[in-house]
Amino acid sequence: MLPRVFVTGVGVVSSIGLGKDAFYRALQGGQSGISPVASFDASQLGRQYAGEVKAFEPRDHLTRAERRRTGRCSAMAVAAARMAIADAGLDPSRLAGPRTAVVLGTTMGEAQLLGGLEHDWIVHGPDAVDRALIPRYGSTLLPIHVARAIGAQGMVLTLPAACAAGNYAIGFAADLVRSRRADVVVTGAAELMQELQFSGFVRLAAMAPERCQPFDLHRQGLLLGEGAGVLVVESEEHAVRRGATPQAEVGGYGLSCDAYHITRPHPDATGSIAAMRAAIERSGLTPDDIDFVNAHGTGTKQNDAAESKVMRDVFGGRRVPISSMKSMLGHCMGAASALEAIGCVFTLQTGVYPPTIGYQTPDPECDLDVVANVARRGKADVVLNNSLAFGGYNAVAVFARPGALPPPAPYLGDGGAAP
Amino acid sequence: MKPLVITGVGVVSAIGVGRQAFADGMRAAIQARSAAPPAGRPIEITGFDASTYLGDKGLRTLDRMTKLLVVAARLALHDAALKRDATWATSRPERVGIVVSNAYGSLEAITELDRVAKLEDARYINPSRFPLTVSNSAAGYASIWEDLRAVNVSVSDGNCGALDAVACANAFLEQRRADALLVGGVEALSEALILAFERLGALRDGARIGEGAGLVALEAPESAAARGAMAHASVTGYGTAFVAPDRQGALVHASSAAVERAVADALADARADPRDVDVVVSGVSGLRAFDEAEIAGIDSALGAEPCIVAPKVCLGETFGAGGAMGMLSALVLMSCPPSAADRGAPAIVVRGALRAQPRTVLVTSVGYYGNASALVMRAGSR
Repeated sequence: MLPRVFVTGVGVVSSIGLGKDAFYRALQGGQSGISPVASFDASQLGRQYAGEVKAFEPRDHLTRAERRRTGRCSAMAVAAARMAIADAGLDPSRLAGPRTAVVLGTTMGEAQLLGGLEHDWIVHGPDAVDRALIPRYGSTLLPIHVARAIGAQGMVLTLPAACAAGNYAIGFAADLVRSRRADVVVTGAAELMQELQFSGFVRLAAMAPERCQPFDLHRQGLLLGEGAGVLVVESEEHAVRRGATPQAEVGGYGLSCDAYHITRPHPDATGSIAAMRAAIERSGLTPDDIDFVNAHGTGTKQNDAAESKVMRDVFGGRRVPISSMKSMLGHCMGAASALEAIGCVFTLQTGVYPPTIGYQTPDPECDLDVVANVARRGKADVVLNNSLAFGGYNAVAVFARPGALPPPAPYLGDGGAAP
Repeated sequence: MKPLVITGVGVVSAIGVGRQAFADGMRAAIQARSAAPPAGRPIEITGFDASTYLGDKGLRTLDRMTKLLVVAARLALHDAALKRDATWATSRPERVGIVVSNAYGSLEAITELDRVAKLEDARYINPSRFPLTVSNSAAGYASIWEDLRAVNVSVSDGNCGALDAVACANAFLEQRRADALLVGGVEALSEALILAFERLGALRDGARIGEGAGLVALEAPESAAARGAMAHASVTGYGTAFVAPDRQGALVHASSAAVERAVADALADARADPRDVDVVVSGVSGLRAFDEAEIAGIDSALGAEPCIVAPKVCLGETFGAGGAMGMLSALVLMSCPPSAADRGAPAIVVRGALRAQPRTVLVTSVGYYGNASALVMRAGSR
């Protein structure tokens, strides 16, 4: 029999709060983390707002030696991992060794560090490049730093699945536990916003001026954000043995690829529909079992229209409540679906759906039950975390109240159109 | 793990493009007919023109890494007979995916955009090149070009990534997320990459850096049998390990303990005895500390001093593609005729005598930060 996989701890570094308690309060209160960009000069870039993490100080979370070898993105990941482990009540001695793995997602990892190196090279020449900084670049490093911080000696893996990276990482982490290749996996994602990404999204004409308004008729695009969301996932027997309280159960997940366009979702959303159906089917459920959808909801015309199509197709006439945390956080890219997964855990634990703030005018094309502006109480046994990404990636994960899912079983279907 | 079979190969490398050319190039290296390229100089794939394989249209926005990968994907799909004449033959797009590693992303695209942003104006960066800056872009483009609609996963674990991609693919195939997966790695040389290794002084000891894309078509034996595909070899075991340096301040770390555990776990996963290993296709690249740690780890895990080869002597360190090049080299060794092994000590043999047509091959990769991965491959379909 396959073991159930539980989330037993979460850690958050975000623009709306550090740590689970602050983050949950902000989600409940519909707090915005959007402010004028301060980490670089955006005055000439055409857009000036983002969800930057302003309160995070690496020295509050990392030792001096750790800070000396760690870029800011990894520092956020390490801090969130430490919070998650504390939240899980895990004794560090239980984590040390080869049965603990670290699987993290990101889009660009230490892109800020790379940006600095490139700046020195391009502006001042190759001799100006600080060779001590070179080894600190690489998305490979995120799980390495986390593994060192917690004593993990198993698999250290980065899944750079762009804006769906969190769901990819959490899904694969659950696979490692389910297949008994690990007892505990520290998973999630981290992303640091930097100038190149910011300029890139402006040039793609995808960025809103000041507000991200998912599913609103007058939505003008996304805003960028940053942060880290880390979850401790472990097998039921491991959690029970140490007397841990599970916060959520990780169900099945669905992955697919549009094979259509590098940045735009497929207008028919066939891949996204297949991924959502697969996540539900692989959890042993039907669409009727889903209580709430934590949306990808970027606030771009195309994404929200495609996502609405997915909702109509998968749920038929049933209007399942849906909400986008990106209205508060901005789009935290690689970290987005990890933070949203923690949002799912919040919903399962509190029975509260986080709101989509800034929602004013319904869009007929997005005919959805949007949790508008204020948090809403509702049934929360099983929730879906939807994500899409550059590359035509679709990744959907199911989270549930512990025990609410049928016992996990090997998938015996032929896949059909649903991988 | 339950054994998976390799039913096709797609490769773009400095010693050849396509399965046959790669095998010829590797055999030439094994037979010591080709001299090792000079140390220090990057090993570029000279004369690579993606349009030869992909036609002229749609290539303008792609970077080198993407072109290498798309060509390798196309070659692998055809070599595995999943496609014939660019049309799906024995499978369908929803059931074929790609799991591919790269270590550093597209430094070419990032540098290009950074140059515009720093020297001109960030508002002028080319939006069609911006998507290339994310590490999964090459895999995304491979899916668009080849219509791969099942799982599309990019993996990053430095030099170990391509072997880790096999572990990921194994999980996805086990869960029936695809019937066949193209699995391996890609890395492209770029000014930034070369500068970084030069600045680190890493090219002085005889190390070479290189580039390439290597993919194998991987599937469950029953899936391959159902579509009548030939199995070139099996993958039977995987292991990985991370061991941090003792010194808190250290970052770069060559860990023989990690290699030892990764190899031991891979053998256990394959239910293989250390004595079964006929040859080790290593990640030895000319970086002395890492080479020594790797060999020491292999020796302790096997309790012997096996024959060790180093494809990187002729391919260079291809980072995220390194493990894939190791797997492809293992395939060549398995089919190498006996005469090939009897010609003295070719440069790619690090130690020992290469026996002809090895049955069990261990492939190892060592990361720069204390990580290591290993794979066990067996000749034939069992």
